[in-house]
Amino acid sequence: MTVLHPTLDEPDDAVDVHPSAPSAEPVPKVTRKRKRKVSRRRLGWPARIAGGVCALFFLAAIFAPLITPYGPLDGDRSQRLLPFFSGDHLLGTDGQGRDVFTRIVFGARISLMTGLVPVLVAGLIGTTLGLVAGLGGRRTNTGVMRTLDVFYAFPAVLLAIAIAAALGSGASNAIIALSVILIPPIARLAESEVARIRSADFMEAARVSGASFWSIAVRHVLPNAAPAIVVYCTALVGLSIVYAAGLGFLGLGVAPPQAEWGLMVNDLRQFTFSAPAISLVPAVVILIVSVAFNVFGDGLRDLLDVRSETH
Amino acid sequence: MIRFMLRRLGLAIPTLIGVSMVIFVTIRIIPGDPVASLLGPTGSPEARVALTKQLGLDQPIPVQYVKWVGKVLQGDLGRSISKQTSALPYVWDAFRNTLTLSGFAAILAIVGGISLGMIAATARRKLTSGLSSAISLFAISAPQYSVGLILIVYLAAGQGWFPTGGMQNPTGDGGFGDLLHHLWLPAIAAGLVPMGIIARMVRSSMLDAMSADFVESLRARGIPERKVRWHAFHNTIPSVLTIAGLQVGYLLGGVIFVEVVFSWPGLGLAVYQSITQRDLPIIQAGVLLSALAFVVVNLIVDTLHGIIDPRIRR
Repeated sequence: MTVLHPTLDEPDDAVDVHPSAPSAEPVPKVTRKRKRKVSRRRLGWPARIAGGVCALFFLAAIFAPLITPYGPLDGDRSQRLLPFFSGDHLLGTDGQGRDVFTRIVFGARISLMTGLVPVLVAGLIGTTLGLVAGLGGRRTNTGVMRTLDVFYAFPAVLLAIAIAAALGSGASNAIIALSVILIPPIARLAESEVARIRSADFMEAARVSGASFWSIAVRHVLPNAAPAIVVYCTALVGLSIVYAAGLGFLGLGVAPPQAEWGLMVNDLRQFTFSAPAISLVPAVVILIVSVAFNVFGDGLRDLLDVRSETH
Repeated sequence: MIRFMLRRLGLAIPTLIGVSMVIFVTIRIIPGDPVASLLGPTGSPEARVALTKQLGLDQPIPVQYVKWVGKVLQGDLGRSISKQTSALPYVWDAFRNTLTLSGFAAILAIVGGISLGMIAATARRKLTSGLSSAISLFAISAPQYSVGLILIVYLAAGQGWFPTGGMQNPTGDGGFGDLLHHLWLPAIAAGLVPMGIIARMVRSSMLDAMSADFVESLRARGIPERKVRWHAFHNTIPSVLTIAGLQVGYLLGGVIFVEVVFSWPGLGLAVYQSITQRDLPIIQAGVLLSALAFVVVNLIVDTLHGIIDPRIRR
């Protein structure tokens, strides 16, 4: 028979720490749960490097025209599929002779935006829903949380695809689809944070002093819940960028000649045999950005010791 | 136990109703006029009225919803616009191939995830445990399409060790060996993310279990460390099972990209082709089937959870 929870004789772990002290006072019980996580004040080096990489991509996106001499749509058919480092073409050219490096840099504008905006939108809506559910009555809570539970019955990517397909392709529709699927996890986290804060003494004081619902929510609860929510949202950005590029890859993002990472992945994968290195560039860029955001988000989470589930 | 299972089954019903509503809403939010897009620009007003009536679009939305659910329950998921066949048989055939791929990916993810997590939690050398944690984080971050393409370029197109796509060799005997040969790369690409998540879950619950009081007393009794770890591992099974089950469900979403990259004839490829052809019934049938499979997987996991851990049966 397998023993799941071996019931052993409870060892006498309440060690008498003050043997000479009078026994009138109860002996403080020594808890034996060790602290595994030592809270550090600073980000670890992997997270700092990752943060630097993320910042680099954002800067590249903002200053795209200054970085590269080409435009994202300029192509010369006679210069197609040039290898890496040929002339000015750092990462070679694609099937229509367009500079791949340029398209990656300009593509970062759309790809980072379609990754970032859904997190911001979902962060706002999710936090509001979490506040309402956490501070509202029992019925409100059940209503909001059970409705959100329905979204957990779908694999998130599939739901995003279904919504984006129904709305039709386009960057704004991809953003809407991603926002919808990011709201439930953020709202869940916000609600659990509010539930934790709700029982604090200062909440009682605020309520007794006659503060209104929104005053309590915005001035007392939100500042306490914000760090956890912000850290969780940071960790979601990487995922959101991957999903956004995924929608682009499936043809549900911006329309072709435009530069967008997911679209580039799909466009270049026909050259797996003829130009294998070039065909991998956008795929590897998305991989790097995703890893960088996740390492950075993890570092932040460790720093602030926030625990939350990823999905 | 049976009462627990029945109660859990009862809880799945509202979920399924919610799922059906969400899918119905995605059908209804399609911008534009489905009648116009079906008839084309040459449709006469009489034909428009007739088709609107035929599609039931002249009735109030709740009525349309109930009728739609009734049809779905009878297995009628609409007709494919591009193939002019019933959507369900087409989607069902593809779904079986998806299940083959997801099943194999799930095995890789669970085996790999548990091994990686155990190493990360129990390795003596800091380097080993750090490396396993880093691998898990990398696996979680890796987009399926990127991994798939990298595998194709290096192991299939470059080295020629594996086929670049498809499910069967057209000239082969179609046996299990051939299928397995085609399965490896897509299954690795699909299984990487769940593997990483399972590994992290195993690591954290293993560390929690190893710092529990009973571990200390087992050690004090002189029980070998290997057996102590086995006891600790037993205590992680319920939480690991829950996460693993969820991840197997999420595989059904991520597998779409893998199927496109590897031309695996599954649901994902069918949905992808339907996106380019604007064939919405196929997309909706595919999503509905996947959501259904997801709910079923969760049910199975909860039941297993109840069998393994009597505490949650109550």
